Amino acid sequence: MSFESLQDLYLGAGPALAPLLWLTGGLLAVLIAEITPGLTRLRPAVVPAALLGAAWSAGQLIAEPSGLVLGGTFMGDSQTGAFTLIFLGATLLAWGQARHYYGQEEPFLGEHDALLITAPIGMILMAGAQDLIVFFIGLELLSIPLYCLAAFRRTRDDSVEAGLRYFILGAFGVTLFLMGAGLVYTTAGTLNIEGLGDALVALTTPLGSVGMALILASLLFKAGVAPFHLWVPDVYQGSPTPITTLMATGTKAAAFAFLLRLAPILPSEAGLPLGIIGVATLALGNLGALVQTDLKRLLAWSGIAHAGLLLLVISAAVSAAGTNQQAEILNAATSALLLYLLAYAFAAGGALGLVAWMEADGEDHTQLSRWQGLGSVRPGVAAGMTLFLLSLGGIPATGGFLGKWLAFSTAVRADMLPLAVLGALTSVIALGYYLRVIITMWMKPRPESWAIPSMNRPLAAFLAGFCAAMVLALGLIPGFVLGPLF
Amino acid sequence: MPLLTLIVFTPLIGAILIALVPVREVRVLRGVSFGITLLTALLGFLVWQEFDPNQAAFQLTESRPWFELPGALAVNYSLGIDGISILLVSLTAFLMPLVLVSASQSITTRVREFLVWLLIMEAGMLGVFLATDIFLFYVFWEVSLVPLYFMLGIWGGERRLYATLKFFLFTLAGSLVMLVGVIALVYLSGTLDIAALTQWAGTQPLEVQGWLFAAFALAFAIKVPLLPFHTWLPDAHTEAPTAGSVILAGVLLKMGTYGLLRFGIAMFPLAALEASTLFMILGALGIIYGAFLAMAQTDVKRLIACSSVSHLGFVVLGMFALTGAGLRGSVLQMVNHGLSTGLLFLLIGMIYERRHSRELADYGGIAKVMPLFAFFFVFSVLSSVGLPGLNGFVGEWLILLGAFEASPVLTAVSVTGVIFGAVYLLRATRLMLFGEITHTENKTLSDLTPRELGVLTPICLLCLVIGVMPGPFIQRTEASLAVIEQRLDAARDQQAARVELDLPDDQKPESAR
Repeated sequence: MSFESLQDLYLGAGPALAPLLWLTGGLLAVLIAEITPGLTRLRPAVVPAALLGAAWSAGQLIAEPSGLVLGGTFMGDSQTGAFTLIFLGATLLAWGQARHYYGQEEPFLGEHDALLITAPIGMILMAGAQDLIVFFIGLELLSIPLYCLAAFRRTRDDSVEAGLRYFILGAFGVTLFLMGAGLVYTTAGTLNIEGLGDALVALTTPLGSVGMALILASLLFKAGVAPFHLWVPDVYQGSPTPITTLMATGTKAAAFAFLLRLAPILPSEAGLPLGIIGVATLALGNLGALVQTDLKRLLAWSGIAHAGLLLLVISAAVSAAGTNQQAEILNAATSALLLYLLAYAFAAGGALGLVAWMEADGEDHTQLSRWQGLGSVRPGVAAGMTLFLLSLGGIPATGGFLGKWLAFSTAVRADMLPLAVLGALTSVIALGYYLRVIITMWMKPRPESWAIPSMNRPLAAFLAGFCAAMVLALGLIPGFVLGPLF
Repeated sequence: MPLLTLIVFTPLIGAILIALVPVREVRVLRGVSFGITLLTALLGFLVWQEFDPNQAAFQLTESRPWFELPGALAVNYSLGIDGISILLVSLTAFLMPLVLVSASQSITTRVREFLVWLLIMEAGMLGVFLATDIFLFYVFWEVSLVPLYFMLGIWGGERRLYATLKFFLFTLAGSLVMLVGVIALVYLSGTLDIAALTQWAGTQPLEVQGWLFAAFALAFAIKVPLLPFHTWLPDAHTEAPTAGSVILAGVLLKMGTYGLLRFGIAMFPLAALEASTLFMILGALGIIYGAFLAMAQTDVKRLIACSSVSHLGFVVLGMFALTGAGLRGSVLQMVNHGLSTGLLFLLIGMIYERRHSRELADYGGIAKVMPLFAFFFVFSVLSSVGLPGLNGFVGEWLILLGAFEASPVLTAVSVTGVIFGAVYLLRATRLMLFGEITHTENKTLSDLTPRELGVLTPICLLCLVIGVMPGPFIQRTEASLAVIEQRLDAARDQQAARVELDLPDDQKPESAR
């Protein structure tokens, strides 16, 4: 490849790639700071600086989308920009929660930060990918750091187990994707999404549809949708809580971002099965959460349920393919997904942040029973948790409700009324377990012998407060918060 | 002056104030919240005065854009009041200060939280009745669920956790089905404005109206509660603290009947005509079944709770008779039930604080030691059973009159409910108040305090006023209900035309179709 053609390739790609460059720069800075005596102290400043810088560039990208870049393999539009903001927010939350989280263990925080900042690079590539290979690179860039991070509490068996489990099943998921991409390439002769859109006939051949099904399966695996959800509870529970935050909010958002890119090229007949899988996942996740006694595990199952509802939104976009409403519904699905994921990131991230914060007072604080009567000694923490759970449950005046409103709206508009009703009814179950947590915190007495959690961590308190404010703001003044995003 | 915004936001701002103000003195917190509810009541009175009885459409309206999201409709913050909501808004504003005073003795732990929830609840309930944007309505509808959940769960009786979960999940199941109904309605019609939606929905064929009606009616039927969704109510009432019971009976249940009228009958008249018999049957069944349940109770609070099921059966019966008298009676009876059942719950709360028992068997003859209590109890019972001259009579009379036009048989069945009502309430009265004092603890009971008299007297006076001159109350609902009647008449014509169209078709021979 000559210099000129390389120059052509990268010309005008600057704004689209700027968030990635910020993060890569941050990654290098972390590594350099780590090996340079005297600079090590700077490391804690590097990660947030890089994330904020990337967020600024993402904002620029939303304001002035640059379209297809890198020879049509990466889409630098406002959708990528908005998803980028969600990823960066999730990473920042995880990073903030990880400060002091490891306590005495404090193992290799330099590596921790370096791995952590790599994950959003992968997520952004996934969200903007217009080519299956670019997506694959993103997937690996996201997954490999998370395999390591999941096992980061090396002294604890469950953490190591989580890492190993995630790795083995993740590798399985990746294999599915590669296999699928291979089959798709065999039939359609291209890996470019636009090209695949033109070669829809090829994709409906048996070989092509098997390929697409395998790709979908790998995405559903990453998103934690049934029947590929069984790794979620174990991995979420075993991983260090900040990493759970990143997986719950960031990974899920990245998988759905790419599903949204794929939706227009899927045959509309795939809409109904996807919707049914979505509602089934919703029911399964909620039923699974109902019996949990560990908060992280409970939030993991609830995360499965949320992924199910998001899949319903995707299925609405898919089933509208080829109709005259397609553009409209795709637009509605996009804003529903973005808003839902944003609200979910703050609510689930906030809730997991509180768990991580409580864990400082003993690791058994992931157990729901240890939260008994917390409202009487730490009303602020209990109130925050209540707000996050109500948002996850979709009660109005919180961001979660608006997400639910848009999600069901999209489904109804795509003529999926029965699925929407079923989905609404199964989400009643969800309140069953969210309320159980609230009951435990507020309505049961706290045993007198229990010490009052010390909770002296300004950063954790700030993050929780920020999440709570965002959850409320998304519910009450969404126009103000989201105005810049759309 | 944005009167309606003021009335909704005064309690809300009060709640924030109470939550954040760094005063630990309980008396101060109570005083401030009382002041806030009193101010709200004053605003309620202003609304009552400003209200123009001759206008059928929403009045005192306010509207400003709230937010707009891509791929979704623009949502407005808009409030308004009409003949359907005026009585309920006034009732809410009137009851809350009294409820707050009544709670000053029974609630002694976590007072600040309690006051905050009470004020949020007031804002939520007023919002439900005042919202004229359906999104806003839904937001208030669910927001008003949460405070009662906490009130029940924290300050409730022994089985409170069970009751609170049951209450929340029952109502939420209905609400979520309604949510899908709301979304479908909004996307079919392309508007969120309730007045515009009502216009639009009235022009739709039965197939469209039917489904939407069903989605809404289910949510409201659970809230009312209608048979067979009533089982959460006795549990919630029994376990709730007095203030919670009064609010539940006084206002919260009315959100269900209000919804049935505003979103069921007014919005989908064709569907309401089709469903009228079903709902009248459910209402009548509720009357009888609730009365039988009440007769079997030994716990006096549970007895009143079951009587609520019966009384609300009357409201639904009258409403779905879809006649002029029935509609008027049911709207008035919503208020009456709120007043008389609220009174009964207040009284039971007062005696419970003294005696710590709600078992009928633990009482007897206390009229001798508590004459004032006995007077108010008998007064409330008489108001509840519909003694002429008191409020309950006017409502029941109109309801039965209206129901008779629609279905004499069901009316005849329902009238027995009035008799049963007298049976269980008078039996409870006799067992509690009269006869010999059999328990020595009862001999030393102290009579009502001035504070308690201050709570009960205004409600009793209002009962009397409505009983003697219901005119001003009915008159305010007149114009709006007349519009609903017109819509129903138009729908009846449409129905008749449909039948005429169908008939010849059916009679035609197979080949000619």
